[in-house]
Amino acid sequence: MVYKILYLYPDLLDLYGDSGNIEVLKYRLQKRGIECQVDTYSILEDKPNFSDYNLIFMGGGADREQSILSEDLVKYKEDIISAIDKGVFVLLICGGFQLFGKYYKDADGQVIDGLGIFDYYTVSGGKRNRNIGNIIIESQIDGEPYKVIGFENHGGITYDISNSFGKILYKNPNNTYDFEGFMLDNVIGTYLHGPLLSKNPALADYIIKIGLKCKNKKEIELEPLDDELENKCRDVLITQFL
Amino acid sequence: MYYKIVILICKFVYKFMKLLGKNGGTLPGNIALRLNKNILKHFNITGNVIAVTGTNGKTSTTNLISNILSNSGSVVSNREGNNINTGITSLLVKNCDLSGNIKCDYLVLECDEHYIPVVFKDLKLDSFVVLNFFRDQLDRTGEVETLIQKIDKFLEGYTGNLILNSDDPNVSRLGFNKSKCKVYYYGVEKFSGATSSMRDRGEGKYCPFCSARLEYDYYQYSHVGKFHCPNCDFGKNNIDSIVSGIDLKKGKFEYNNKTFETRYNTIYNMYNVSAAFMLSSIYDISMDYLYESVKGFELNNGRLESVVINDCPTVLNLVKNPTGANVTINYMNQDDEHKEMMFVLNDKIADGKDVSWIWDINFSILNNVDRIITSGTRAYDMAVRIKNSGYDVKKIEVYQSIDEAVNNLYKNNGKKYVIFNYTATTDTRRAVLNYKGDKNGL
Repeated sequence: MVYKILYLYPDLLDLYGDSGNIEVLKYRLQKRGIECQVDTYSILEDKPNFSDYNLIFMGGGADREQSILSEDLVKYKEDIISAIDKGVFVLLICGGFQLFGKYYKDADGQVIDGLGIFDYYTVSGGKRNRNIGNIIIESQIDGEPYKVIGFENHGGITYDISNSFGKILYKNPNNTYDFEGFMLDNVIGTYLHGPLLSKNPALADYIIKIGLKCKNKKEIELEPLDDELENKCRDVLITQFL
Repeated sequence: MYYKIVILICKFVYKFMKLLGKNGGTLPGNIALRLNKNILKHFNITGNVIAVTGTNGKTSTTNLISNILSNSGSVVSNREGNNINTGITSLLVKNCDLSGNIKCDYLVLECDEHYIPVVFKDLKLDSFVVLNFFRDQLDRTGEVETLIQKIDKFLEGYTGNLILNSDDPNVSRLGFNKSKCKVYYYGVEKFSGATSSMRDRGEGKYCPFCSARLEYDYYQYSHVGKFHCPNCDFGKNNIDSIVSGIDLKKGKFEYNNKTFETRYNTIYNMYNVSAAFMLSSIYDISMDYLYESVKGFELNNGRLESVVINDCPTVLNLVKNPTGANVTINYMNQDDEHKEMMFVLNDKIADGKDVSWIWDINFSILNNVDRIITSGTRAYDMAVRIKNSGYDVKKIEVYQSIDEAVNNLYKNNGKKYVIFNYTATTDTRRAVLNYKGDKNGL
C-alpha cells in the first residue's frame, strides 16, 4: 500500500516548520509498513494529477510569496475541486487555508484572489495587529472530541466559515474570535502551526485513514503506535495552558 | 544642559550597581532613555563608530573586530552583547565624561537588527557591517522581508562605509542603488562542504528586483552561497575581501596570499572573519594584527565553547534559530567519534514562544550519536521532533529539569555536545560547568 502526498509550493510556503507535518505523516505511515510517497509541485513545473493522491498539502508563507503563487494556483481550480469530490484529503495551513477561500485583503487594502473553492474570505487585521501565540481548540476527530494544540501567527482574520475546525479553548488575548479554521470530512484549513500534526497524533492518524479510504474504497484499521512522547508533550501543554 | 544631569544620574546608578556587585547591564541605559529619549544625540564620539548587525554571528564578529582594532587604537565595545538601545546607551553612559564625550579610536557596537534605525538615527555611523538575515523567532521578530525593508529604508540617508556579505542575497541586495555611501562586498570561497542544492531551509529564493528565481552555483550553508539572478544584474558584485583555501578540520585558511591558523572551525565563522577583515582593510590595519587576532581568539560564553567535564570532552553551543542549529549539527557531524547530545529548548519571550523552528533542523543526518537528552520548558517538543526525524526513540531521554538532565548526561563516558537556546544559556552552562560528577562512586 502506498500513501501519496502532493506537497504544493514547498519552496515558497515553508515559513513556520509546516513541512514537519509531512515528516510526521511519513513517520507514522512507515512505522505501519505503509510506503509514503511525497511529490512536490511549484511554479513552472508540470501539472500534477491532483486526483491521483491520498493527500494534498499546502503550508503557510510570507505575503510576497503568497501573491506570486496565487496566480499559478488558480489555473488548477477545477482539478482540485474534482479531487476533493473524489475524497482526496486536503490539509491547508495558514496561507494555504486563506488561498482556498474567495480572497485575501492585505494590510494595504490590496486584494489577492483566492481559488474560491470555499466561501470564506480573509481580511488583514492591520500591520500591527497579528494573532500570535499558543492555541488549543476542541475539535471532533473521527466522531470524538479531541484537543488540538498548536501555535498561531497570522495577520488575517477569516470570515464566513460554515464549518469550523474547532472551538477555541485557549488563545492569546489578542485573538478576538471563538472558533478556529474550517473543516469538512476530507478538508481541514487552519491557522495552527506547531507543526499541527506534531502534537496531535490522533489528527495525523485521521488524515491517514481518510486518505487511505479514498483510494482503497474501504476503512483501513491503523495499528496503534507508541505515542508516549507525544502524549507527555500534550499533557505538559494542556496542564500549562488550560 | 538637561542631558548632562541625566548622564550624571545614570553614572551614579552604574557606580551604585557596581558596588552591589552587579555589572549594571541595561539599567543605566534604560533610565537614561526614560529621562531623555534623545539622549543618544548628545554623545560625542571622537573616533570611528562601527556597527555590526545580522541574524547570526553578531557577538563573535564584534569581538573579533574589537580584538583586531585594539592593536591600533583604543576600543569601546559592547562585547557581551547587550545589543539593543538600552544596552548600547548603558555602554555609552559608562564610558563618557560628564559632558557626554567618549574618547576612543573605535566604538564597535553589536546592534540588534531591529534596533538599527532607532540607535543610529541619533548616533552617527562611520562603518556598518551586515552579516546575514535568516528566519529567526518569527513570532517575536516577524518576517525576514519586513526586516530587510526596514534596514534598506534606514540606508537611504546613510553616507558611511557599507560592508555587505556578497553571498547572502538578503544582505547583498542592500548595496543596490546606494549612491550616497561606499559599498564593499566580502565573501568566502567555495569550501569542501558546499552543496549544489540547498541542504537546510533558507530565505530569499527570488530576485528582489525582478522576481526571477535566483540561480546558485553552490550553497555554503542555508541560502548563503554563490548566486545570481538570470534576468538582471543582481548578484554580480565585485568582491573586495575574500577568504579562501579553507580547511576547517585543520583550522586553516588563506587571505591576501597569507595562510592563517584559527580555532574557528565552521563555515559561518569564515564569513564573520571575512567581514572583520574587510572592515580592517578600510582602516588600514596591518596583516600581522589580523593574523594574531584570529590565531589567539576563543570565546568562552557558550559559543562553541570547549570544556572537559567529568573526563568527558564537552562542546557547548548556543543556537537561536534553524540556521545556527543546522550549522552546529553539520559541525558535530564532522566529528566521527561516538558522542552524546543534549538539546535544551526554552520558549520564554526572548527565545520566541513559537518552537516550530526546531522542525527546520535536520536531525536525519546525525553521525554516531549514541544518545540524545532533551531538557528545558519544551523538552518534550524537542524529543517529539527528534523522534519523527527517524532517530531511535529508545535512545531519547527527556528531563525537564536541567540539573537532572546534566546528571544523566554524564552518567556515560565519552564526548558530549550540549546545545541550548537563548534563555537556557545561563542555566545550562551553570549546570554543566558546576557538575561535580560521581566518577568515584561518591
